[in-house]
Amino acid sequence: MVVFVLENVPASLRGDLSRWLFEVRAGVFAGRVSALVRDELWAMVTSHLGNGSVLMLYSTNSERGFWARSLGDPSRQLVDIEGVLLVKTH
Amino acid sequence: MSSLRSIPKIRDSISYVYVERCRIEQDAKAIAVLQEQGRYVIPCASLTTLMLGPGSVITHAAIKNLADGSCSVQWVGEDGLRFYANGSHPSSSVERLYHQARLWADPAQHLAVVRRMYMFRFSEPLEDGLTLQQIRGIEGVRVRTTYSRLRKQTGVEWKGRDYKLTKWEDSDPVNRALSAANACLYSVCQAALNAVGYSTSLGFVHTGKPLSFVYDVADLYKTETTIPAAFEAAAEMGLEVESRARQLCREKFVEQRLMQKIIGDVDSILGLKSLKEEADPVGHLWDNQGGSVHGGRSYGDPLDEQEKG
Repeated sequence: MVVFVLENVPASLRGDLSRWLFEVRAGVFAGRVSALVRDELWAMVTSHLGNGSVLMLYSTNSERGFWARSLGDPSRQLVDIEGVLLVKTH
Repeated sequence: MSSLRSIPKIRDSISYVYVERCRIEQDAKAIAVLQEQGRYVIPCASLTTLMLGPGSVITHAAIKNLADGSCSVQWVGEDGLRFYANGSHPSSSVERLYHQARLWADPAQHLAVVRRMYMFRFSEPLEDGLTLQQIRGIEGVRVRTTYSRLRKQTGVEWKGRDYKLTKWEDSDPVNRALSAANACLYSVCQAALNAVGYSTSLGFVHTGKPLSFVYDVADLYKTETTIPAAFEAAAEMGLEVESRARQLCREKFVEQRLMQKIIGDVDSILGLKSLKEEADPVGHLWDNQGGSVHGGRSYGDPLDEQEKG
């Protein structure tokens, strides 16, 4: 399972992403793709982000069962504390 | 989220988080770790143990939130290497404690538990009729074989288990990694045992220490978790060997499904079969004839009370 949350991104990027995933709310995409495709999608999104921001959540075999990556929103930073994913704010 | 059923089970939770040099406060209805560089919100209701290292300050409100989620709090030395104190939410049940105490106090049943603990650690069955001393010997050889296999696999020099309580820095990296990894395993075992109401003091193999039973339970998992984690951390030759060991240790816990298994394993070694998951709201009073009678009511004769009144 993978979920993307996009904010303030070009419309064409949302169009691109909806070829692989469901846009269940404006800017919220969900679906199931392989790890390879997921990483390709991440590369595509981050290279066409413009001034927007993206959060990607995906299932893993980590302790909580998921992991996340984010780019473009400086107010919330994802950090890895010895293998635990936490959100750092200012 | 106040009913017992809403409290996350040990099997579903994050094993531990270690923090140091920070302030921990209530934040909205959760808890936040404040450091100079920023603040993190800790998912305290799905955490088993919060390990507080040097320089950590925690508020009363934060402790209350942690207790509400049944999270155990442990005050530890730098890198979790020394254990100072533990704070935990009272368990909802005493059945496991009574069961454990009965086995512990009966020499024959105590021996049977010790045997089951050693047997648990062998993947293949042992022949019948071995004495406890023989089993202990075989287990010792098995642990040494594990060290020797990992030494070959990782290329880490191994001169035996060696650490000094007062001078951690003098130990070699693999021994420091092993101490850090074991500290995590002990924390997790202790939190799990506390959460379901076992005594950490009534150990079967280990005795005479307040955490004897924690050492017993941790030993069940060391060869699959902390020992390989420590060798792998030392092999990477990084600067923060303790931190890396904790991270690898967490990966081993996930691989081994430690959080999902630990209570079931201990229950089965102690031969505990059925257990009421929800405790009665009112306790019982001990009775020498019937075992126990219901608490929360007056057993005085109503007529006596009228005369007094």
